[in-house]
Amino acid sequence: MSAPEGWNPRIVVFACNWCSYAGADTAGVSRIQHQPHFRMIRVMCSGRIQPGFVLRAFEKGADGVLVSGCHIGDCHYLFGNERAVEQFEKTRAVTRILGLEDERLRLEWISAAEGARFAQVIDQFTERVRALGPSPLAREAR
Amino acid sequence: MDAGRHPLIDVVTNAQVVACSGEPGAFRVRVRKRPRYVREDRCVACGLCVEACPQVGGNEFDMGIKARKAIYRPFPQSVPATYVVDPDACLNFLNFLTPKQRDRLERIRAIKARKDPAYRTDFLVCGHCVSACEVQAIDFDMQPEETDLEVGAILVATGFQEFDARSLRTYGYGRLPNVVTSLELERMLNASGVTQGHVVRPSDLRTPRRILFVQCVGARGEGGRPYCSRFCCMNAVKDSLLIRQHDPAVEEVTILYTDMRAFGKGFDDFVERARSEESAIFLRGRPATIRHDPTDDTLEVFVEDTLAHEPRRIRVDLVVLSVAAAPNEGAVELARMLGIETDAYGFIARRDPAVSAVETCREGIFVAGSAVGPQVIPDSVAQASAAAARAARFLSAERVTLDPEPPPPLDLSGPPRIGVLVCHCGINIAGLLDVSNLVDHAAAQPGVVAAVDDAFACSSTGQETLARLVAEHRLNRVVVAACTPRTHEPIFRETLARLGFNPYLLEMVNIRDQCSWVHAHHPTEAQEKARALLRMGIARAGHLEPLEEGRAPVTRSALVIGGGIAGIQAATDLAEQGFPVTLVERSSELGGRLAAPRLWHLYPTDRPAVEVLARKVERLRASGARILTDTEVTGIVGCVGSFQATLQGAVTEILPVGAIILAFGADLADPAGAYGHGRLSNVITSEDLERAFFEGGPRVEGKPLRSAAFVLCVGSRDPEGFSGCSRYCCPTAVKQALALARQGVDCTVFYRDMRTVSSGAEEMYREARGAGVLFVRVPSGSHAQVLGETRAERVRCRDELLDRVIEVPADLVVLSVGMRARQPETARFHDILKITVGLDGFFLERHPELAPVETAVEGVFLAGTVQGPKDIVDSVAQASAAAAKASVLLAHDQVRLDPAVSVVDPDRCRGCGQCVEICQFHAPALKEIEPGTWVAEVNPSLCKGCGTCASWCPSGAITARHFTNRQVEAMVDALFAEASP
Ligand code: FES
Repeated sequence: MSAPEGWNPRIVVFACNWCSYAGADTAGVSRIQHQPHFRMIRVMCSGRIQPGFVLRAFEKGADGVLVSGCHIGDCHYLFGNERAVEQFEKTRAVTRILGLEDERLRLEWISAAEGARFAQVIDQFTERVRALGPSPLAREAR
Repeated sequence: MDAGRHPLIDVVTNAQVVACSGEPGAFRVRVRKRPRYVREDRCVACGLCVEACPQVGGNEFDMGIKARKAIYRPFPQSVPATYVVDPDACLNFLNFLTPKQRDRLERIRAIKARKDPAYRTDFLVCGHCVSACEVQAIDFDMQPEETDLEVGAILVATGFQEFDARSLRTYGYGRLPNVVTSLELERMLNASGVTQGHVVRPSDLRTPRRILFVQCVGARGEGGRPYCSRFCCMNAVKDSLLIRQHDPAVEEVTILYTDMRAFGKGFDDFVERARSEESAIFLRGRPATIRHDPTDDTLEVFVEDTLAHEPRRIRVDLVVLSVAAAPNEGAVELARMLGIETDAYGFIARRDPAVSAVETCREGIFVAGSAVGPQVIPDSVAQASAAAARAARFLSAERVTLDPEPPPPLDLSGPPRIGVLVCHCGINIAGLLDVSNLVDHAAAQPGVVAAVDDAFACSSTGQETLARLVAEHRLNRVVVAACTPRTHEPIFRETLARLGFNPYLLEMVNIRDQCSWVHAHHPTEAQEKARALLRMGIARAGHLEPLEEGRAPVTRSALVIGGGIAGIQAATDLAEQGFPVTLVERSSELGGRLAAPRLWHLYPTDRPAVEVLARKVERLRASGARILTDTEVTGIVGCVGSFQATLQGAVTEILPVGAIILAFGADLADPAGAYGHGRLSNVITSEDLERAFFEGGPRVEGKPLRSAAFVLCVGSRDPEGFSGCSRYCCPTAVKQALALARQGVDCTVFYRDMRTVSSGAEEMYREARGAGVLFVRVPSGSHAQVLGETRAERVRCRDELLDRVIEVPADLVVLSVGMRARQPETARFHDILKITVGLDGFFLERHPELAPVETAVEGVFLAGTVQGPKDIVDSVAQASAAAAKASVLLAHDQVRLDPAVSVVDPDRCRGCGQCVEICQFHAPALKEIEPGTWVAEVNPSLCKGCGTCASWCPSGAITARHFTNRQVEAMVDALFAEASP
C-alpha cells in the first residue's frame, strides 16, 4: 500500500523519565532538529510501558509506536528496562495477530546524553513508518 | 545539577579564594568573584544572546573544532544555567586589540569627549547581546566582587589539570594536528559535545580509520612524574569500545600500554570484553617517534613491541595521548593561603592517608578527589562523601528541619477545574509557535476554566500570574505549557505548594525543549504537535489525583556490623557527629585484618599496622560509640529509618536503629593447592609472611633466607574463579619484597600487570627495582612453575619482556592471595536484608559512580571490602563515605516518602507474588490477611515509584500512582482526538 501524497505518519513515543525523555530534552538544548510527527508520553521507567498502552495507541490511530528507555544496565531502577523487553515482546505477539507490520513497533535505548541519537532514531523511524503508509488499524479508527 | 538546586548549597562560580583566616570551626574565607556580565537572577538561559553575538572566540574546551561566541554557556548542563562573557573575545572589552590600538582608540575618545561634553566614553562598542536579551540580564557594569564567608570547615576539591603534552616533543602534540589528548577525545565522544559524539581528525574533520592510544603520557617516569594516573587505562578501553560501537568507519583501535591497570571493581571484565570483542588491539610499548607522512596525511608511529620483541611501524590517522593528571597550577598558592601542605609534585598533601584519606595537615580542612593525586570517579565520590562526614563535626549543631509550616490546604474537591498557563519563553516558544492559538485551543478543552499566556512563566511575575489564576478561578488542576518538567516541575510545584495547592495536581507540557527548539523547520507541524501535547496534558490533568507526602519516623542511631578498620572508621565518624552508634564485632577483638599478628607494616609509609590500629581504636573509644565484641547480628527486620536488629552473644537484645552499615570485610582466597601450596612446606601465602615478620622475619629450617619468590594474582584475575583484581596485592608484594631485599634476600616477583596505583605505590615499585628486586612478567594464560619435591627449590617462568625463561632459586615462595566475598556472612545478609550480590560475589553498590556506598535497600550502606577488594586507604575513605550517607538519613527525625508509588488493591490481588519477584527494592511483600488468603502489599518506604509492577501484575491489582493507566490512556486518547479550534 502506498501513502497518499503529503501524508504524515502519526507516531507515539513512550519514554522513561531518566534517559530517553531526557535525551529528547538534550536534543532540544542542542537544537538538533528532527521530524515533528511524533508525540511523547513520559513515564518514570520503561518497565511501566505495558502492552495495553501501546495497543491502545494503535487502536486509536497510531501508525507507529516507539518504546524507549535507558540502555541495559543503566535503568534508574536497576532492571526495569529488562522487564520492558519482556513487555515489548508480549506486545509484539499481539500486534502480529492484529496484522501490523513489525516495523511499526520499535524498541530503542537512548541515554540522557544522546540527543543526537534521539533525533536520528526519530528521523529513521518516521521515514520507515512513512514508507509503510497508514496503519491498517488506523484506517479503521479514522 | 542536584547541587545547584539544593536549598543549602550556594554555588559561587567564576570565583577564587584570595585569603583565609580563623580557626577550625570558625574560618573566614575571602572569595573574589569575577564578573560574568550576565545576571544569574535574571537569565532564563534562552540563548538569544549567543545567537546575536557576532564575535567568535576561542574555545579551550573544544580544541578549536567548534568556534565559540564571546558570550557562551560552557556546556549544556552547566550550573548555574547561565551564560558568561569572555572578556578576551568580547568586542566591548577591546582586549583583543593590541595595546597600541587600544591606546589610540582611547586617545581619540578622550579628544572627542573634550570637544563634545555630551560625548559618552562608556558606550558599548557592540552590545548586540544586550539588545537581544529580553529579560535585561546582560550587564557590562558588573565589577569583581569580594565577599567574606564564615565557615566551620573547608573542603578542597580542586581536581587536577591535564599534563601539558607539548613538553614531550616525541609525541608532536601541538605540532601535529591529528595528535590529540584524551580529554579532547572525550569532548568529541560526548553526545552534546563539539562533534556530537563522533571522532574526527582535527585536520580535515574526517572520521579516522585507525586510531592509536598512547598510555602513560607524562606519567610513570615520564616528564618527571613517577606516579600513575590511575584512570587512563580504563578510560582508553572505554573510549575504544565506544568508538567501535558508534563509528563503524573506524576500523582499528590500538592501545599502547605498559601495564593494564584495571584495578577497580569490574574493570578487568571490561578489559576482557574489549579484548574478546576485538574493539581494541593491546600492544605493550612506548612510541619512539611519531611522524607525519604528508603523502597520505597519516601518522607513522615507531614503537618497540615489548612482548613480541620486535620494532613496529604503525600507520594511523589519529593519535590520542592519554595524558597524566598534573597538579593544578593554583594548588600550591591555594595551599599556602589555607595553611596546608602540598606534596613533592604539588598535589594537596594529606596528614596520613592510612588514617584518613581526606584530612589535610590542618584541622578543619579536608580534601577529596584528584586534588591529592589522580583518582578514578568511584573513589573520588567516596572520598567526597567521606570529607563531608569528617567536616560535619566542625559545623554548628543546629540541623536542618524538613520544612517550615505548610500553608492550610486549599479545597480542591469537585470535578476538574483546570487552569492552563502557556509560556512564550520570550521568543523561544513564541518565535515559532502561535501562543494565542494554543491558549484558545486549551480553553476549548473539557474541564478548562481558564487559559492565559505569560512571557516567562517561571519568572516571578509568571508565578504571580499562576497564583492569581488559582485563586480567581478556584482551580483544582493546573497545566503549564512551557519547558521540560525535568528542570521546571520542581519550581512550579513549589509555587503551588506555597499556595496550599496539592503539587501533584500540576501537569507540565513540554512545548519548548521538545517542540519549538527542535522543529524550527516545520512551523505548521510544530504548531500541530504543540496543540496535541497540550490536549494530552489537559486530559491527563483531568485524571490527576492529589497525593500526600508520607512521613516515616527515623530512629536516629546506627548499627555498624564488623569491627575491622572500615567498621571502626564508620562508627567513629558517626559517633563524633553525635549519633548513637553500636558497633558489633563477632570476634573478641577489634581490628580485623590490621590486628596483630596479621599485618606487619603498611605501605607505602612503612608504619606498623598495630600502631595505626591503636590510634584508630583509641579514637573510636573516645567517640562514645558502643562497642560490642563477641556479639553477632542474627536477624534484621524493618526498613529505612526503623530497623530492628537481633543481637546475640556477649549481649543479647533487640536493637532499634535507623541506618545500618555493613563492614564485615572480605576473606582471603585459599590457594587450593596451587603452586604446591600445602604440599611444599615453604610455599606460604602473603598473610603467612606478614605473620612471620612478627616473629623476627621468615626463616628456612631455622636459617635466614637467601632468596624469595613472589607469585601474584593467586585467586584473582582468574577467568574460572574470581575474575577481578584484588587491588591490594601488587603493592603488598612490592612492600614485602622490598623489606626482604633490604635484609639482603634475593627477591623475584612474578607478576602479570604491575598495578601499583595507590598513592606512593609507584614510587615504592621503583625503589624495589632499585634495591635489586627482579620483576618477571608472566605471559597471559601461563603461570610460574614452582619446582621441588618436598619443598620448593626453584621457580621458573618465561619473562614476557625479555622473551627468555627465567629460573630463580627460592628458599621461600610467597603467594599473593586475592580477596573473596566473606562467607557465610555475605550470603546471610543477602538473605536477611535482600541486598543484591554482584557477579563477583561481593555486595552490589547502588551505582558505581553516583552511589558507591549505597545499596538498593534504602538505609543500608557498604563500608570497606564488603563491596569489593580494596586496600586500607580506600577502605577507610569508603567507610567515611558510608558514614556520611548514613548521617544524612539520621539528621532528621522523619524521612519523606514520595507518594507517587505503587499501591495494591487487595480485592483484586490474587497473591501470585510476581510483583515480589520482579521488584529490585523489595517493596511488595505477600501478607496473609486471613487464613489461606495472601495478598501483596507495597511498602511505601521501599517503593521507588518506577511503576514496573503495575504493568506486570497479571490481575491489574496494582496502581502506579501519578502514572495510572487512566492517566496514560487519557493522553493517548487526547492525542488522537480531532482538533477543534
Ligand atoms: S528508568 Fe529508564 S528504563 Fe528504567
